[in-house]
Amino acid sequence: MKDQRVTRIEDLPGPKSQGELEEMKMPYEEYCRKVFSPGQEKTKPESLKGIRWLSTTMYIFTPHSVANLAELGAECIKVEMPRMGDPMRHTSPFNECYLYPLHDSRPMTGTGLGFTNANSNEYYITMDYHVPEMKEAFYRLVKLSDGLTECYRPGTFDRWKQSYRYLQELNPRFIYVWGGGFGYGPKVFGGSYDILGQAHAGLASVTGFHEDFGGHCTKHSNWCIDWYSGTQITVAILAALYWRRKTGLGTMIEFSQVQAATRCLGYTVPLYGRFGIVRQRWGNWDTQLCVHGIILCGKSDYPDEPNPQLKYEARYAVVSAFNDPDFKELCAIIGRNDLWDQYKTLQDRVRPQAQIAIYKALEEWAADKTRSQVVKTLTDAGLLAMPVMNDKEVYECEHFRQRGTIRWLDDPVFGDLLIQSGYSCGLMSKTPRRVNWLWRPVGADNVKIYHEMLGYPMSKIEEWYEKNLI
Amino acid sequence: MCDIIWCKDCDTVNYLDPYYFWNWEGKIKCAGCENVYYIYMIQGHMYKGPEKKAGEKPDILPVYADKPNDGYEQILPGTPGKTRPYNCLPRHIYLGKADMVKFSARGRPVRGWRPQPPSTGVAGSCGFTWDIQKLSPEVWQEYQEKIKKGEVSEW
Ligand SMILES: [Zn+2]
Repeated sequence: MKDQRVTRIEDLPGPKSQGELEEMKMPYEEYCRKVFSPGQEKTKPESLKGIRWLSTTMYIFTPHSVANLAELGAECIKVEMPRMGDPMRHTSPFNECYLYPLHDSRPMTGTGLGFTNANSNEYYITMDYHVPEMKEAFYRLVKLSDGLTECYRPGTFDRWKQSYRYLQELNPRFIYVWGGGFGYGPKVFGGSYDILGQAHAGLASVTGFHEDFGGHCTKHSNWCIDWYSGTQITVAILAALYWRRKTGLGTMIEFSQVQAATRCLGYTVPLYGRFGIVRQRWGNWDTQLCVHGIILCGKSDYPDEPNPQLKYEARYAVVSAFNDPDFKELCAIIGRNDLWDQYKTLQDRVRPQAQIAIYKALEEWAADKTRSQVVKTLTDAGLLAMPVMNDKEVYECEHFRQRGTIRWLDDPVFGDLLIQSGYSCGLMSKTPRRVNWLWRPVGADNVKIYHEMLGYPMSKIEEWYEKNLI
Repeated sequence: MCDIIWCKDCDTVNYLDPYYFWNWEGKIKCAGCENVYYIYMIQGHMYKGPEKKAGEKPDILPVYADKPNDGYEQILPGTPGKTRPYNCLPRHIYLGKADMVKFSARGRPVRGWRPQPPSTGVAGSCGFTWDIQKLSPEVWQEYQEKIKKGEVSEW
């Protein structure tokens, strides 16, 4: 029973200790720097420690759903085919920058950079689970794990007696994720990959320039739907873990990549539903705001660089001046007050013909300028302008650097690597994400998992290895 | 939309990539023969031309060309004297050959060369650290030299 005559500090609103009092006096900026403290992640606890997850995945999309868990502290075990590994190891961009080794029995074969960021912090074992001899080990892993993500064609794991229907009998708390192309339904046998997801979900049709501008529908250069879908699966897994806390039961998550990309369509679908209008592509211009787009400037910021991406391509800038006073100012700067006289309201400006005339005038003005000159002139006038930065510029950007978004990792196996991965996600003050290692060679943790965790004798492991079962 | 100049003399289709020629006036040489054509494009549409300008100096070469009536014989981007150099492909590292490096962009060792010294334990298992000094003493030595020369940076 509380004594009403005594005032206890913990009952009062506000800081509870001298330390907290000091924290309250800190300016917000300083407070954020202290609680997030990039570089100090490994001194803090991990929110998902204690969760064990299996990953029988390939490429980017499904592996990324597990990497998210691993970066948050779950113990994740990636299962690969003996000697070969995840095909993504061999599918990096065509300017192959190999890191070695893939596997020590293949010292000439390396893993490509395309594999980075999708499987961080995981343990790597090999298993050929087609073979009846390996079934027991697979089932024992399931009994000791919280869940699994797989990406085989629908029904494949069922045929191999390791789908949700079978595994929930072994472990009713098991959370099972299938992630793939189309999922059950009329297109059940359709495989998918990022570009197909972007195309089939309607996303590519609204990306890129209109044909009137000599444009085409455009896929994003990077596999953004793979990365996006992987993260969406992780959200489902976290919800399933929470559901299991309430009910004690596992669940099955079925995740179709081509369906996921429709989420990015925004108002496109309701637009069709309400008016029957099929949304068009409008490239780097906005259909609702003008000026609010990306323009091409005439000169590069790096005329002397040998790299063509710098020498020729570092020429784009975002310009935003859509409200009337800003647009008026912009017209004065580019010496085209006639455009202001002609398009005094946003309503006038967003019309296609007006946008064509306005952006053309902007690019004419920028034709003899570098991107930096354009951005500086507009920013000095109080207008919003930003360079379209490339990866080099993002790397050099002080803002990202102070927040730790991109940083060097001294990977225990592969040495010095520049990465973003977990550090490009949201910051967490108490339980931040971290990257311990990017990946390990094929089968690197066979002894750790089969012997130390499951307790198989070394002789058994060597026998499996000789028979190519692991 | 992609505009073309179909050269009747040598039956070559010269492709003008739409972004570059969006608002453009000038002369283009046929990739198949010595013909030079004047064109004037406004907002991506052919406004004037193509007009033959025999003997005049071209401003630019087409990006790509082919001969559809000749079994689609192609004149690929970057064919000297016929098509424009393809600036996206200037570096050997873009040509599909593994680029083996020993050091990262900031000059510290990466495990990126082959063949790799064997380091396997039982069943392909591998240790949690790669001791570069022990496994690749020559790279370690090279690294020490780089440090001395100030070629290793913090960022
Ligand atoms: Zn010709």
